[in-house]
This record gives sequence, C-alpha cells and structure tokens, in this order.
Amino acid sequence: MENILEVKNLSKTYDNFALKDVSFNLPKGMIMGFIGENGAGKTTTIKAILNIIQNYSGDIEIFGLNNRKEDGRIKENIGVVLDDMFFPEILTPNDINSIMKSSYKNWDEKRFYTYLKDFALPTNKQIKTFSKGMRKKLEIATALSHYPKLLLLDEPTAGLDPIARAEVIDLFQNFIENEECAILLSSHITTDLEHIADYITFINNGSILLSKTKDELLDHYGIVKCTEKEFKTIHKKDYIRYRKTKYAYEVLVEDKKEFKKKYPVEVVDKITLDDLMVLMIKGEEA
Amino acid sequence: MIGFIKKDLAMIKSNFKTLGLLLLLYVVMGFFGEMDVSFFLPFISVMIMISTFTYDSYNKWDAYLVSFPDGRRNSVKAKYVATLLMILVVSLVTLLLSFIIAYANNKTINYEQILSTMLGTLFGTLLVLSVMYPIIYKFGVEKARIWIFLIVFGVVLAVSLLASYIDFSFVGGVLSFINNYIVLVLILFSIVMVYASYRISLRIELKKEF
Amino acid sequence: MEIIISNSSGVPIYEQIKEQIKAKIIANELKTNELLPSIRTLAKDLRCSVITTKNAYEELVKEGYVKTIPSKGFYVASINKEIILEEQLNQIEGFLNQAIVLAKRNQIPKKAINEMITILYEEE
Repeated sequence: MENILEVKNLSKTYDNFALKDVSFNLPKGMIMGFIGENGAGKTTTIKAILNIIQNYSGDIEIFGLNNRKEDGRIKENIGVVLDDMFFPEILTPNDINSIMKSSYKNWDEKRFYTYLKDFALPTNKQIKTFSKGMRKKLEIATALSHYPKLLLLDEPTAGLDPIARAEVIDLFQNFIENEECAILLSSHITTDLEHIADYITFINNGSILLSKTKDELLDHYGIVKCTEKEFKTIHKKDYIRYRKTKYAYEVLVEDKKEFKKKYPVEVVDKITLDDLMVLMIKGEEA
Repeated sequence: MIGFIKKDLAMIKSNFKTLGLLLLLYVVMGFFGEMDVSFFLPFISVMIMISTFTYDSYNKWDAYLVSFPDGRRNSVKAKYVATLLMILVVSLVTLLLSFIIAYANNKTINYEQILSTMLGTLFGTLLVLSVMYPIIYKFGVEKARIWIFLIVFGVVLAVSLLASYIDFSFVGGVLSFINNYIVLVLILFSIVMVYASYRISLRIELKKEF
Repeated sequence: MEIIISNSSGVPIYEQIKEQIKAKIIANELKTNELLPSIRTLAKDLRCSVITTKNAYEELVKEGYVKTIPSKGFYVASINKEIILEEQLNQIEGFLNQAIVLAKRNQIPKKAINEMITILYEEE
C-alpha cells in the first residue's frame, strides 16, 4: 500500500520541549488519529509537515514528494484545519471564497457555498461575529472545498456540539470514500477516533509511543485488574504499563487473549483510547 | 499571489471610505488654497497597508498562509504588489485632483511644480515602504511601530521642510525635461530600492518560524 | 441489509460484521452473486474504520462466503450448504467437547448433561 504521508526521524529542539525522532506513515485511503496530551507535540508535528516550522532534522514526504522542495505542488492538494490559525477575522466567508478561488486551481465555489448552507453559516458576516463552533465549521468547509488529497486536521471537532461533531465526522468519512485521499486528525475527543480512525498514532513528550491500526489496539490490548498478589505473579515481559489504584492494580497488556490463557486473572477488560492514554502516560513501565 | 492581494484589499475595504474622505478634504483645502497636502495621501495608503500586518499577526494568518501553495513567497510578493498598487492609484487620483484644483482656481497649471512634488512624494513613500516592510517582516508590527513613527515623522518633516523652504521651482527647472537625468536616477533608484527591500523581506519570510 | 454493531460487547467489530453477514448468507438473505457494499461505503454507513470492514471482508473471503473480483468489489460466493453445515457441526462438537471435559473434571454424570442439553434446546 502506498503512503500519502511519510514522516521520518523528525526531530526539533526548543528550549523547553523537543520532538524526538518522530516517524510514522499514513497510507492512502486511511484516517489516522493523532493522540497525545496537550503539549505532547501534535501541533508541532503538523506544523513541521506544513513547513510552518522549518529548522528540523529528518524527512517528510507527501505524495512521494519532499515537503521542502515541492511546496507548491504539495500544498495545492492539502487541506488544513489548524488550531487557532485562520483567515483574519475581519474577513467574511465571501472574502474567503474569492481569495481561495485565486489561490487554488481546484477550488470549487459551489461546493464551498453548499457547505456553508449545510452548516447554516452566514456568507457576508465577519468571522469575528461567529461562535467558536461556527468558526470551526467554516474552517472545515474551507479545508474541503479544493478537493485536497490529504487533510491535516488539528482538533477539528473542538468546540463542536455532539450533533455538529457527528455531521463533521460524516464529512470526513465521505472524504475518505475516495481511496486516493487520507486524513491525519488530531483530537482530544477520542470517541470520534474510536469510530472512524484506521490508525492510531500516539505521541507523548515529543516521542511516538505507538503507531498501529486501531483494531489491533482496541481488539487486542486489554486492562487487567487484579490484586497486588496476583500482580506479583505477572512476568515483566507480559505487560506494558501498570498503575496502582486505591483498590487494585490496573495492568495494560498487549494481547488480552494470550494473557488470559497464561494467567488465571478474573478481570481483563477491553480498553478505550482514553484508558490507553492514561495508562501509557501515568502508568509505570514494566 | 492574486488571492493574497485580494485578501489585503478586502481587509482594508473599510479604510477606503476614510481615504476618500481625505481626498475630499484635500480638494476642499486645495480650493481654499491653504496648503498643499498632496504629499500626505500616498503616505496614508502605505500606513493603511501597514495596518494589514496587524490583522495578519493577530489571527495567526501569517502562520496559516504557509499552508497555501508557495504561501510564503506569494504572500510577500502580494504585499508589495498590493502596496504599490495602492500608492499608484492614490497618486494618480491625487495628481488628477491637483490639476483640477489648479484649473478650477484659474491658476496656470504649473506642471513642473505638481510633478516634482509628486515625484518627491512618491520617492519618500517608496523609501518608507522599502525600509519599513523588512523591519515589519523581521520584528512584527508591534516592535516595528516605534520605527514607523520615527521614519514617517522624519520623512514627512523633511519633505514638508523641503516643500516650504527650498524653492521647488528650482528643482522643477532642473526636472523640466522628461529625459532629465535626475528623474531617471530617482526612478531607477526607487526601483532598485523597492526590489532590494522585497528580496530582503522574502528572505526573512522564507526563514521564519511560527 | 441490517447490521447491528455493539461497541460495548467486547466482541471485535470486524467479527460482529463478519458473523452477521455470514448469517445472512447462510439464511439466504444475501443471495449468491449479490454485490456487497464496498469497504468504504460500509465503513461510512456503520461509522467504523475502513480497516475494520476490510478485515471482515477478508475473513469472509478466506472462509469462502464471499469472493472478490478485483476492481469490481465483493460478491456473495456460491456456497456449499453441506460443507457449511459440516463446519457448523464441527464447531458444535468442539463446544460439546469442552462441556464434557468440564463435566468429567467435576464428575458430573452423562445423564445430567443430556438432560441439560434437552432443556436448553427446547428453551431456545
């Protein structure tokens, strides 16, 4: 399978934070959920992909092209929703349409206005009069209306109510029906990702902790809940992280079925992405 | 690039009214023969364009635009082209108004006087633009503001001093022929200056981190 | 076609999809050579990921319930009812075996098991 996006050994050092050797691949036709705490490096990674930050080491290839050498060709086919970055708020959706029309070859005016109508957004009011949710919707409409092949979405559902979120998620799934496209989507709302993401890439403190298919994670990983005595019998090889709570031990295991075969523990729960994040970050390493 | 020019013009739409009002004021003042403020108008247009930088940084548009095809390069190009466009239009309108006022006041039209004032103004304006834009690209509008005040104040003062104390007809006499060297040198110098400024701004923008 | 997905059952979603399509094929609700929805359409309609539906289809292909025609899509395969029945019987045998092992381990008599089966069968 061809990759639309390949990030190889991306490193960048700031005074108080560093991206360390970030690598992952996003294949065609797939949605990748990009998760991690605030400040873990999601936005910085996306900024590097777009060359909004530049002094980094490592290579990034988009559509098989080097992102630093083929900026114009690549960006013609990228749509973005970036946290807190957008058109100046004294502009109106009509202005945006006219600007985008002259900036992207494939800009589809009709499509843009259809989105605006579907989202019930006014066309001639300044963006500053919009609520946070309306603004996000406008950002999404803007990102989708030039038929991009890669969507880079940083918290695209932040500030949206559940109904609007469902609408937007549907849009993303419609988008991905074209197998030539792919989405990299960072979100705190992991339930959205649990539904639609094909891959999960988990970044913590500037490093990738894991990048796997979501089914592999959710169907295989498990949380064992056991007593201290039981925990002491578990071999270090057989778990990834553990956490001692007030009443029990929570142990993250990579393959819950295998684990059950090996150890006679009572409770082996399936995990959610939230559980996974909490245990990976707060838990102790094996 | 055209998209970004449209963006800048859309942002200063609301300033067009003010600009129109100033032109009107100029006409009124011209009729009363008070003083020649024509040099002021192209400056205003540069000041208005500089205000777009504030909007750009306030909404992090300056980072967002990097996601556009060749966004960095095109945005700088667009800023210069839009500014030059503004200066050109405002200068032409001012020039036209100057002739009309002179004509309406039944004065014999002193082409040299008007043209040389215009030329001096244009040169001053382009000088401000050429110095200011790289500074703004480097330090942002906030920090560049103090520079703006100093430079604009200095140039305006210098030009008005020149205009009122030094007899411009003397310059006009020298400039009386189109193929006069000083005009040519001034024009060439302006072009080189603006282009150099553009290259410096572009260099700064291409290296910028957000 | 109805497919009901539970996100809380603990059964992997691809397996739920697979089993339900399989059941529809066996029940002849989905006829031989009928075109199944594409991986992407199904994923969209079920609000699940593409890899999940792809896994489900791949398993169905492996088990012979579905055939794939490259660049056209997935079709219901002509299935041999007897083979399927045999497979199901094998599965039942497996389950019963487990039950019997458990029974023997706890010295539960054959009669009790027989009775249990009768009762359960009739209840169903």
